[in-house]
Amino acid sequence: MSEYILELKGITKIFPGVKALNNVQFQLLPGEVHALMGENGAGKSTFIKVITGVHKAEEGEMFLDGQKVDFKGPKDAQEAGIAAVYQHPTSYPHLTVAENIFMGHEIVKNHMIQWNAMYAEANKLLENLDADFDARAEMGTLSVAQQQMVEIAKAMSTNARIIILDEPTASLTRSESEKLYRLVDHLKEDGVSIIFISHRFEDMYRLASRVTVFRDSQYIGTYPVDGITNEDLIKAMVGREITTMYPKPEVEIGREMLRVEHLSRAGYFKDVSFSVRAGEILGMTGLVGAGRTEVVEAVCGITHAEEGKVYLEDEELHIRKPADAMQKGIILLPEDRQKEGLIMSWGLGRNVTLPTMGKYAKHGLNDNKKEREISRDLLESVDTKAVDIFQPASSLSGGNQQKVVVAKALGQEMKVVIMDEPTKGVDVGAKAEMYAIMGELAKQGYAIILISSEMPEILGMANRIVVMCNGRKTGELMRDEATQEIILDLSMEKAGRKGAD
Amino acid sequence: MAGKSGRSINNVPENPVKKMIFSWEGILVLLLIAINIFCSIFSEFYNLSSLLRQMPVYLAEVFLMLGMAFILVMGEIDISVGSIVCLSATLACLVSNAGVPFPAVFLIALLVGTCCGIVNALILTNFQELPPMIVTLSTQIIFRGIAEIVLGSGGSVSVTNTDGFRAIAGKVGQVPYILFLVLILAVIFAVILGKSTFGRSVYAIGTNRLTAYYSGINVQRVRFIIYTVMGTLCGLCAMFLISNSYGANTTTGENFEMDAIAMAVFGGIMSTGGKGNIAGGVISAIIIVCLRVGLGQRNVNAQVILLIIGLLLICTVGLPNLIKNARQSLKKS
Repeated sequence: MSEYILELKGITKIFPGVKALNNVQFQLLPGEVHALMGENGAGKSTFIKVITGVHKAEEGEMFLDGQKVDFKGPKDAQEAGIAAVYQHPTSYPHLTVAENIFMGHEIVKNHMIQWNAMYAEANKLLENLDADFDARAEMGTLSVAQQQMVEIAKAMSTNARIIILDEPTASLTRSESEKLYRLVDHLKEDGVSIIFISHRFEDMYRLASRVTVFRDSQYIGTYPVDGITNEDLIKAMVGREITTMYPKPEVEIGREMLRVEHLSRAGYFKDVSFSVRAGEILGMTGLVGAGRTEVVEAVCGITHAEEGKVYLEDEELHIRKPADAMQKGIILLPEDRQKEGLIMSWGLGRNVTLPTMGKYAKHGLNDNKKEREISRDLLESVDTKAVDIFQPASSLSGGNQQKVVVAKALGQEMKVVIMDEPTKGVDVGAKAEMYAIMGELAKQGYAIILISSEMPEILGMANRIVVMCNGRKTGELMRDEATQEIILDLSMEKAGRKGAD
Repeated sequence: MAGKSGRSINNVPENPVKKMIFSWEGILVLLLIAINIFCSIFSEFYNLSSLLRQMPVYLAEVFLMLGMAFILVMGEIDISVGSIVCLSATLACLVSNAGVPFPAVFLIALLVGTCCGIVNALILTNFQELPPMIVTLSTQIIFRGIAEIVLGSGGSVSVTNTDGFRAIAGKVGQVPYILFLVLILAVIFAVILGKSTFGRSVYAIGTNRLTAYYSGINVQRVRFIIYTVMGTLCGLCAMFLISNSYGANTTTGENFEMDAIAMAVFGGIMSTGGKGNIAGGVISAIIIVCLRVGLGQRNVNAQVILLIIGLLLICTVGLPNLIKNARQSLKKS
């Protein structure tokens, strides 16, 4: 009997034209939480899919409890007790929680679904996970965190012994993450082994006992978490040392560019005021759902505030739609690259010139030649790693997609640049590049609003920090007076006072 | 900001000729030739002059395809067009019989169509959460309902003064005016969809509406224009229909929306949005027209022609998938 519950050796997976995994190895101890880290495109997701039987590796062997196994498909892996919980839960939003949990293995008697038994069983599982919702709730009404909990309950219902969590904290608030941590602890106590993928170092420090790093489809090493530092890990993941993560240039702060006064939208935010100056980076933080995105969306005309005024260079604005905001030079880089930022199936060039094509057009007809030149220059200026401007945006990694979103903004007349979670789901190397771009933009005198849930990013880049909670502004801090504790306090303040609901 | 790595990104497009040969339009041209060979074997009367003589009645629907192409590329659908044709034709006949001069009749037909289009557009842009399929299904019933009220249930109207209608059914040599008009409009619509910023916006909306909106495209304005123009095209179609039948009845234009959609989809314009072009739609429209003329000459039942077109359509939709699957299984083995 092997000491490992799961062991993979010499795994190689080839996709047409790419070696997605090259001679990779991995060992999982029983009852262990094992972090798997690496940049986007390092091969983590492919590796997970090999374990769960979605992909079949060209070479290599996999052992479960020391026995060689050969999964033909996801069902085999499921039967062997391996379950995966993905970042965006793939559920049926209109069905109940119980139906989602038992999808594919319903409790059946005489070909009839035993609803009462199923709800009871589901509630038992949820109770075990300390969930705060009922099995009869409709899946679509739950938060992402709760949906993840359902996925975990589903894994438990199949008696999974190995659970793989793929970036579970990416869309969670701090308190939700905290809850997830406790849940993982709980699973560990029950003897479940866990593979944990995350870009957040704090997740790893908090949970894992060992960490395995992949880079460029290759296995780099497995290290005990005790005693490892951020620098060691970054070096292992990126292959080079990143000297300055937050290159904040010394910039002369200019005059006030954007001023928002008493902005309110019922149900989303109330009485929010702030301003941002030329060359300044204004951080906006708070928990997910605090209303940060909603405020800037109202400023940019994507939605409409019922009360309040917006001034640009002391001139009052009446923005009805995004096109109006763009014309005034207020550019929003939306949070969701795939749904709001880019057209994924289009070439990079067309994506970049989408907001500006009218500027180059002659008599309403597109000037393709000029567009090609300009889009290439813009893509190169942000150092996009791409082969040509015709390749679809979907072929790029998250970090490079974000650069295309930036390039798209750079082609426009900008005064105020609003970046909503610009480094979400982006690996550490690309993050550093994004901060460099941000610093460069500030240096050029643009006013920048940075919305982020990542505390180090806000503390590292912002000159001034606005904290929001439950749709209200709860504080404004200068760079030198802000600390993680104060910000956290401000972003929880009212939530605590009002109670959990 | 200069790129630090100095990496350069290629921006030279690949040879367009090579792309064209392997495109769907290329396959359609081959199919057009094949259909013509088939028709001339099948029917001894099938030749260029008989084709030109008999095609006008079918060509009127091609106008609808042009508008429908825009709507489909935008990822939407308009199933009220047949009813708009009916209402326009009915009112045009009535005002003509009331002694209104022909140019005014023509304008009124276009105006009625345009107004119906605006009704669709207003509903769809003001209540953006309503699905176009349901909205235009409702207006389909309403527009034809109005025509039925005007005509009486199952009623019909014939034009008494046919001079103007005869005039627009005229020919240059053997070539009917309508063919010229179809081709000219096709070129204009093709340039707008394929080359203009407006066309690019339509593709953007059809591929990712949210990104288009965030990128500053005035989505509702684009939709408004397209649904309105669709209505105008219905009016045009109505006039040429009357020039063939000298009248209108409550079933005029029935199923025209499905014909227009069929032509467009057969031409490679995906109903899911963002894909296809006018050239494909026009070639496929001509294929369908040729087929109808050729099979009609041997008195093949209209239903059988529909059946054949339906089969062609299913093959069209299925063929690319079949080829893709075959390629993949070849690669694997």
